[in-house]
Amino acid sequence: MTSLPEKLIGAAAPRPLDAQRSKLPLLLALVVAVGGCVFPFVVTSTLTLSLLTQALIGAMLATGVGFLVRQNGMVSFGHALFYGLGGYILGVLVSRGIVPIELALILAIVVPTVLAFVLGLVITRIPGVAFGMLTLACAQAFYELALKVRGLANGDDGLAVTFPARIFGVPVSLLQDPHSMFVICWVVLMIALGSLWLLMRSHYGLLTFAIKANEERARFIGYETLVPRAAIYAISALLAATAGVLATFYNAFISPDMLHWTLSGSALIMAIIGGTKAVWGPALGAVVFFFIKEIAGDATEHWPAVIGGILIVVTVFVPIGLSGLLVRVFSGRRA
Amino acid sequence: MNATSSQPFALQGLDLSRVYGGFRALDGVAISVPKGEVRGIIGPNGAGKSTLMDVLSGRAASWGGTVRLGGRDIGALSPRERRQAGLARSFQKTNVFAELTIDEQIRLAARSVEIDNSAEVLDKLELTALRSRLAADISYGDRRRLDLALALVGRPQVLLLDEPAAGLTVEESLAMARLLRDLALEWQVTVLLVEHDMEVVFGISNRITVLHLGKVLAEGTPDEIRSNPVVVSAYLGSSVE
Ligand SMILES: Nc1ncnc2c1ncn2[C@@H]1O[C@H](COP(=O)(O)OP(=O)(O)OP(=O)(O)O)[C@@H](O)[C@H]1O
Ligand SMILES: [Mg+2]
Repeated sequence: MTSLPEKLIGAAAPRPLDAQRSKLPLLLALVVAVGGCVFPFVVTSTLTLSLLTQALIGAMLATGVGFLVRQNGMVSFGHALFYGLGGYILGVLVSRGIVPIELALILAIVVPTVLAFVLGLVITRIPGVAFGMLTLACAQAFYELALKVRGLANGDDGLAVTFPARIFGVPVSLLQDPHSMFVICWVVLMIALGSLWLLMRSHYGLLTFAIKANEERARFIGYETLVPRAAIYAISALLAATAGVLATFYNAFISPDMLHWTLSGSALIMAIIGGTKAVWGPALGAVVFFFIKEIAGDATEHWPAVIGGILIVVTVFVPIGLSGLLVRVFSGRRA
Repeated sequence: MNATSSQPFALQGLDLSRVYGGFRALDGVAISVPKGEVRGIIGPNGAGKSTLMDVLSGRAASWGGTVRLGGRDIGALSPRERRQAGLARSFQKTNVFAELTIDEQIRLAARSVEIDNSAEVLDKLELTALRSRLAADISYGDRRRLDLALALVGRPQVLLLDEPAAGLTVEESLAMARLLRDLALEWQVTVLLVEHDMEVVFGISNRITVLHLGKVLAEGTPDEIRSNPVVVSAYLGSSVE
């Protein structure tokens, strides 16, 4: 059972992950990343691709929520705020023709990120459930705003967004066709996951992880802890805003639903089902979530109950989530 | 003390007070420690020893009073700034990063200071062989040494140690005492050592401060403290003759 490297290292066994650290996971990641891009050429069903595109957008949002859990240990019940805000900024600015679409896109991503950073400087000081409630309250405030201020985007009715023909020279129609949009969302998601993975392995990743593990000691070894916490919150908001932007392009429609707490809740459920220890866990959870929703939704209108049941099973029996389970199975590690 | 009165003390706390719900945990304490000295701090449970460490290190704010590090007023600085100014501490309750490997946390500690002596610290504290292990997976004694190691990285000028030998075996405590004495000599680091293990304190301290009910009861060389009737009746009893 003892592998050669283990024998060489001897008694002082390294942490299991190090022992398994080979080229294999990286190779696997590459295969998956490339595989996704050719997927629409294999599966040509528009319906399936459309569902998967929605799933990828959900995956982006869930990745943001999960990253916050992993790196800050904080559970957000209000990430729809950044998702919806991204969508609204893009949708409203483009519809009103206030700024060029390229600038609208940049603002739609930058504004929620900066907002999250500033907000994070205040609310990431607050631990536990109180933090979750604050995120929920902030998101609901924006939801009410979108609902009540009809002049903004027709309140409850939502706003159909008419895009100009091109963005950065690329036809916008590509962003609305599931065949091409699937690939675009896939590439964006892969870039996001790759960046997060690199971040996690960097000094800053280690520092934020350490702050999560023991904030007080981090201060006493010479680190300021608030800015790193807020920065992680901002990064997770950046992912959510990106998801909101993709959704707005794809659906050409914005409505207060994009800011509703049920969306934040779904994203959290996806992250929990997928597991947050691996960066790609929440994304996997999102895909599973969408498929369950689709299949169970065909059978019964009570599909949320099915999701709820699965959530209970996962939290009780597989608290490490599906990604944790997969890693365990494939690395041949004992429980 | 006369010899050093013209130059600044390595660490000085003046008129330090702290009240917890009407209870004076620290009541106008003054302490001045010259460079390179190992200062033992003893006193019964609840005397305010940890509170003094907290106030000096910035974990808790003093109600009035001053804290000086090498003559510089650091009373308004955060723990991070105090650490970067050369004041490091360990904790009475082991305070390490359970989810990080020893190597990772030592590396992190080294990044925030100017001198990277992590290899030396790991070596001195006999943690080198454990460096790739998670702190959660090592023994209690190893974790105590890791706690100390996190404070030693960067060769701080002043070390505040809150019962580093708590829970260690007699052998381990004595090894720790030897290590601290060597460090004080070798690095010229100033040490404030809170410790219940009298053998350790009396063995390595140049001077000892006795706290009682938040006040300084006595201060002097180990011999003076041992024979001080007030200290003996209030604290030492017959445990040290
Ligand atoms: N955070 C706190 N809140 C309330 N009371 C506190 C707090 N910290 C300390 N105290 C009280 O202040 C007094 C001094 O506590 P401190 O921890 O400084 O004592 P100590 O000398 O370190 O004792 P020990 O030898 O048990 O470690 C105690 O009565 C304690 O109950
Ligand atoms: Mg104490």
